[in-house]
Amino acid sequence: MTETDDNPLQAYVRAALALQGYTFGDAEIAEIVTQFSRLEAIARTVFDWPLPFASEPAPVFRP
Amino acid sequence: MGSAAGIVQQIAKGKRSAAAVLAECKALIQAKDPELNCFTAKTFERAEREAAAIDALYAGGKALPPLAGVPYAVKNLFDVEGMVTLAGAKINAGNVPAAADATIVARMKRAGAVLLGALNMEELAYGFLTENHHYGTTRNPHDLERGAGGSSGGSAAAVGAGMLPITLGSDTSGSIRVPASLCGVFGLKPTYGRLPRTGTYPFVNSFDHVGPFANSVHGLALAYDVMQGPDPADPACAQRAIEPAGVTLSLPPGTRIGILGGWFHEWADPAARRSVQLAAAALGATEWTEFKSAEVARAAAYVITGAEGGALHRPRLIERYEDFGPASRSRLVAGGLIPASWVIQAQRVRRHAYREAMDLFERFDLLIAAAAPAVAPKVGQEALLINGRSIPTKAGLGVLTQPISCIGLPVCTVPVWPAEGDSAAERALPVGVQLIGAPWHEGLCLAAARTLEQAGIAEVRPTSAA
Repeated sequence: MTETDDNPLQAYVRAALALQGYTFGDAEIAEIVTQFSRLEAIARTVFDWPLPFASEPAPVFRP
Repeated sequence: MGSAAGIVQQIAKGKRSAAAVLAECKALIQAKDPELNCFTAKTFERAEREAAAIDALYAGGKALPPLAGVPYAVKNLFDVEGMVTLAGAKINAGNVPAAADATIVARMKRAGAVLLGALNMEELAYGFLTENHHYGTTRNPHDLERGAGGSSGGSAAAVGAGMLPITLGSDTSGSIRVPASLCGVFGLKPTYGRLPRTGTYPFVNSFDHVGPFANSVHGLALAYDVMQGPDPADPACAQRAIEPAGVTLSLPPGTRIGILGGWFHEWADPAARRSVQLAAAALGATEWTEFKSAEVARAAAYVITGAEGGALHRPRLIERYEDFGPASRSRLVAGGLIPASWVIQAQRVRRHAYREAMDLFERFDLLIAAAAPAVAPKVGQEALLINGRSIPTKAGLGVLTQPISCIGLPVCTVPVWPAEGDSAAERALPVGVQLIGAPWHEGLCLAAARTLEQAGIAEVRPTSAA
């Protein structure tokens, strides 16, 4: 079992970086993992917020 | 230097020429800017031409435009013809110069204002400080050990230091309101979509606003009015007719004003609370209310900002990661990895928060809250301590502004001087107050600001800088 198997957030960041075409060393990836962890902590408030099923996103495209 | 309205009057009456105003302004910039670091470029030759054109109009007995001879400068994310638009970033330094002025810079020119240069900002407008890795830190004109705030730090500090009566900035999450609060100046973040962003360097399309700073409410309203009007080139710009705010700057009798408690009280330290108390008393506001979605609106703004900012810069982050500042690059990359489901949920939350705010505006015409949780932090200060809770400075300075820009409401920030704090230095610093209106009610925000200015509660104070 690798370190990233134990840490889904770190595994996600590594996979997402590769998918988006980034090639970083371990030091840069560690920084990005730290930043992503902060984002994820704040984003939790958004996930847990109860919304009616039919509520729409804010931006509406108007041609 | 005087106010914009004062300069316009003096030039119209022949008491001063535009050239004389410009000469005074240049001398102030040369004396004060070296220790503050507000300017990244000066456009003195253009300013000479623009001032001469105003003096020629006066000499010819022609009608003068509304900002005739008023000096101003712009955050360096606005296109200025012939100059490279930096947006505070080294990655832009090699770009071709702008072919034309940004729409609102062109409108300022048409109104007779005289452009003196481009101003420092946080790299790519991502952050509430102006501690720019490439172009240096902009210092607070009231205490050089402290920062100006950001991201429009150069714009706020230049007005706060008395170098200019008007500057322009942008506000995605608080980048007009936070530095206005820290530097003790007036700032207006209009309704999302009110002023066109054409010719400005983008950061987060969903939240980017542009607006003015000024040393008086009248100056703020003058600049705002000349910049209004539809612009089909900006898809977010509302195609609304101009609604002049500077004509009547008086608060209608019976205006219902609510004081925002909850999140906005919890994240305001004693100095910020005192500023709100002073403003509320002067406006006759006694009723507290709550915007319950504030915390989640801030979180939604955080998610959308990260995702849009990261996506926007991805090609350059892949090619030139080392050319981004260390405080920006890893945050931008991380933002670009945010899953789509988070962004969609954040946009749903945004709609929900907007509806809650509209319900509040059934009961109130105006809401007030502090613009920053505390006075200006020291340069390099890592964290703010707010009522016993620590929060990183870079993110924490926007804790009270981000929930409001998330839903695009218009806000006038006014400089209030609470005289609270543990040290004499802190007691000499301002904390701004946000006067928040319903969409398209900038006029009411400005009228409340004028009431506070007339009452002596909100004022731009002289500084000790140079």
